[in-house]
Amino acid sequence: MPSFSAGLWENLSHDIHYIWPHILLMVAATLMLWPLDSWLMPWTKAEKHKWALPTLAILVATLGLTLATPNGLGFSAMYKVDGLTKGFQVLCILGSIFAVMLSQNVLGALQEHTVEYYVLILLGTSGMLFMCGAVDLVTVYFSIELMALCIYILVAYLRHQGRSIEAGMKYFLLGAFSSGILLYGISLLFAATGGVTTNLTELNQKLALVSADKNLLVYSGVLMVLVGLCFKVAAVPFHMWAPDAYDGAPTPITAWMATAPKAASLAVFLRVFDTGFHNLSYDWTAPLMVISAASMILGNVAAIRQQSIKRLLAYSSIAHVGYMLLGVLSKDAQAGAQAVWLYMLSYLVMNTGAFAVVIYLQGKGEGERIDDFRGMGKRHPLLAFAMLIFLLSLAGIPPLIGFFGKFYLFLLAVQQGFTTLVVIALLTSAVSAYYYLEVVKQMYFKEPATEDGAECEPMDPYAKWLITAACTLVIIGTAFGPQLLKWTDDIRWFEKEAPKAAVFELPGK
Amino acid sequence: MVSMNAVLLISFLLWSVGVAGVLIRRNALVILMCVELMLNAANLNLIAFARQAGTVNGQAFALLVMGFAAAEVAVGLALVVALYRKKGNIQVDEINLLKG
Repeated sequence: MPSFSAGLWENLSHDIHYIWPHILLMVAATLMLWPLDSWLMPWTKAEKHKWALPTLAILVATLGLTLATPNGLGFSAMYKVDGLTKGFQVLCILGSIFAVMLSQNVLGALQEHTVEYYVLILLGTSGMLFMCGAVDLVTVYFSIELMALCIYILVAYLRHQGRSIEAGMKYFLLGAFSSGILLYGISLLFAATGGVTTNLTELNQKLALVSADKNLLVYSGVLMVLVGLCFKVAAVPFHMWAPDAYDGAPTPITAWMATAPKAASLAVFLRVFDTGFHNLSYDWTAPLMVISAASMILGNVAAIRQQSIKRLLAYSSIAHVGYMLLGVLSKDAQAGAQAVWLYMLSYLVMNTGAFAVVIYLQGKGEGERIDDFRGMGKRHPLLAFAMLIFLLSLAGIPPLIGFFGKFYLFLLAVQQGFTTLVVIALLTSAVSAYYYLEVVKQMYFKEPATEDGAECEPMDPYAKWLITAACTLVIIGTAFGPQLLKWTDDIRWFEKEAPKAAVFELPGK
Repeated sequence: MVSMNAVLLISFLLWSVGVAGVLIRRNALVILMCVELMLNAANLNLIAFARQAGTVNGQAFALLVMGFAAAEVAVGLALVVALYRKKGNIQVDEINLLKG
């Protein structure tokens, strides 16, 4: 029997090519924390903003490594690289890149630049990358928590502001609570298999065959896992942390939380429910349908009465999660993953764009409230136009890219027979147009609150590029829709294979 | 050998105590402890069933969960300290700047 370290080394040397991107992120983050920050590059507090550039370089390198990773299954069938993994990993890394680009000005204005901020973003990103490829409930659980621990700290990052700490505290308590539920659900499923496996493929085979007296175990286990994951994507009725956390967090982190962790959590959703619990769909379809409908309705209705743009975008993100759960419900896992990916891609672009505009306005001490947008059409015509495009796209108005994502997702849901849900989705989309257009009304048809004699502060170059690029993509994106569709059709989102997971026997037995 | 139903019952009771504590108690530290109870209830299941099946998968999982619990408490306590410095107490009822 090989020793523990020999076994570890063998596994690692055999499968390491699957996780080079993660290793790069983790090693770089660790080095940034210790020798680089204190010895090699002892920048003063005012110079810490220089860290953004190396961080961006690392993330871009990670993106390249991710695309170059070979497909396959490794680490005792705990981590898998396939179309789903790579597709969602790319979205997560893009989300992190955007967040770092947006962080510059905000942190500079608050004098809060530290190396830890960027390190936590990198570590959180590595957690997301693991989430996208996790095919065992063990890896699912720990990668979710690796991501979540980093985000808790980042939400409470502005520790001299009561709001930021409060947001972090609320998010932490509810997140820890939900992770307790998720873990207990996992342990029940493990018990239902008789204590043999947590591998999703094997769970799928074993759980469908359990004896009648264990049905309760399976049912409650599946429901608890569902609840735990719904907390992570902020689906109603497990959304109560989201508006507060989005509101109190530093705005670049809000932009990040609304995109990258959502993409990773949806990848987990697709993987767990379409691989792991595929044969148990009778148990989770009805609850998930209710959750999806409730998210669409409550998210959109609650967004109407918001005064703060960040809370408005928080509630709208709850509604968007409701739409994306339609793709998880799809019985055709392949098409479902494709639809969710396309939707997430368009959501990433338009949501980041909208947050970039908010962040720019915040740099001038406004933009927090919807009233602050009054007269923006006159003061910043270009910026107001960009915001208009992003909001219309979020509302799903053709021919912008948001329409394309929604159209494809709803079409799939109709084909799969979820007509009622699609009707709800269409009606609530109409509601969402109301509150997005309310902001547009403030921008173009209201006079500015104060006479505009204020200086027009130049935007930082990162944010300017980002807004320009996002705006262009949102406008012309639909033109490339058919190509994108054809291209993603060729991706094999789920590689069908069932190698055995390792089961280690106890020596004494 | 102890019956597995007894294990499930005990772990469910532990978990319920944890859930009830999170929902009822208002002190952030006590809530943290209750979350630990929930995690340990799951650990009990993992270890008991792994032992019954004679595999170590579940036991390794439980060890990792303990490691994670420590990391979570580290972050949680840091947040509690920051909250205490700002507010002077750690009652979750009294953090109410954000609402709507």
